[in-house]
Amino acid sequence: MVTIKHSISATVVDDGGALGVIELAHACGAGTEWVAQLVEVGVIEADDIEGPARQWRFRSGALRCALQARRLQRDFDIGLDAAALIIDLEREVRRLKALVQAQRPR
Amino acid sequence: MEFKDYYQALGLERTASEDEVRKAYRKLARKYHPDVSKEPDAETRMREVNEAYDVLRDKEKRTAYDALADRVARGGSAQGDFQPPPGWDEGFEFNYRPDSDGPADHAQFSEFFSSLFGQAQRRGAARQNFRARGEDHHAAIEISLEDALNGAEREITLRAMEIDAQGQAQVVPRTLHVKIPPGVGPGQFIRLAGQGMPGHGGEAAGDLFLEVRIAPHKLYRVEGRDLYMTLPVTPSEAALGGPIRAPTPGGAVVEVTVPANARNGLKLRLKGRGLPGKTPGDLYLLLDIVLPPADNDAVRQAYETLARASGSFDPRRHLGV
Repeated sequence: MVTIKHSISATVVDDGGALGVIELAHACGAGTEWVAQLVEVGVIEADDIEGPARQWRFRSGALRCALQARRLQRDFDIGLDAAALIIDLEREVRRLKALVQAQRPR
Repeated sequence: MEFKDYYQALGLERTASEDEVRKAYRKLARKYHPDVSKEPDAETRMREVNEAYDVLRDKEKRTAYDALADRVARGGSAQGDFQPPPGWDEGFEFNYRPDSDGPADHAQFSEFFSSLFGQAQRRGAARQNFRARGEDHHAAIEISLEDALNGAEREITLRAMEIDAQGQAQVVPRTLHVKIPPGVGPGQFIRLAGQGMPGHGGEAAGDLFLEVRIAPHKLYRVEGRDLYMTLPVTPSEAALGGPIRAPTPGGAVVEVTVPANARNGLKLRLKGRGLPGKTPGDLYLLLDIVLPPADNDAVRQAYETLARASGSFDPRRHLGV
């Protein structure tokens, strides 16, 4: 076995690099139905949400929340609504912590 | 390369039941959840716990891992026939050090096993005609603010535990040279197509998703696409207003105009000087009024003069004392 180096350009999961439903589902090891549920419950947001599902596009924030929701569901056996609440709380805690950190005298 | 003892990570015996594994995980997940944990190394421990649970909770992965552990215990190598080049064993531990002056020199992330939330079955490889796209692989990478602004090239090594058709586990390392585009914000993912897990039955490989984290910077705080910096000013500069020179992350020095009677904490916005991109972020300068020390006669007298001149101003009026 050899260590092979590849030179690769990365695309940002944003704007033109946003993920479609199938891609997001695959990234989370789940199905498209599950992605639709996440959108319905409000765990994630999609661009072009008014259009059909195949036109939805998901940015980095949505990928992050989706991965988080997947883990919460799988590892703690909780429903999506509870997962959504936990994700909201986590986001708020992080925001507040960053704010407090910023107030500290330098 | 260190071999990770997943049982130890969860505080379990090799003979632990599925129930015990789950209970152990949930207890530790609560203890090390980064948002609520009081432990100093919570994020690292959480990652270890997650990694361990990903493997031990799954019958097939656990069996393969046990076999791998036995092989390592007998003096074998986790990588099978792979011979690491000298110096390779530097390891890729993700160290988040909030008080450090700068980021680690090289991209760091420990991934002994692919952190994978997959239903995609490796055991499916034993089924003939099983075809599925490879699973996606997730990891994180920490870059400096300068790298985020200008783009960067990074070499990262990922290690994934792959299980072959015979159920044999082997650690497969890969080194990738990644070009990170400029303007990637904290928490954004970058995607490397085809760098995930190999496909099954001839299908394409999955993708690699890297979560970008920006190392804490001495001067600037990143929030979304915006940057924040404290701009110290004297009371005279704040009261009288006027031009003040300030650095920017890009290196240029700008002149900002402080308005007269500026209060402490006032935000001055420099549009478009945050993270670059289609919608560039802004740079906010937060005014921080700093008193010149009253440590000589001249300054003391100046303060006394000011006190007399502004005698009618009472900052404690609302306290009623």
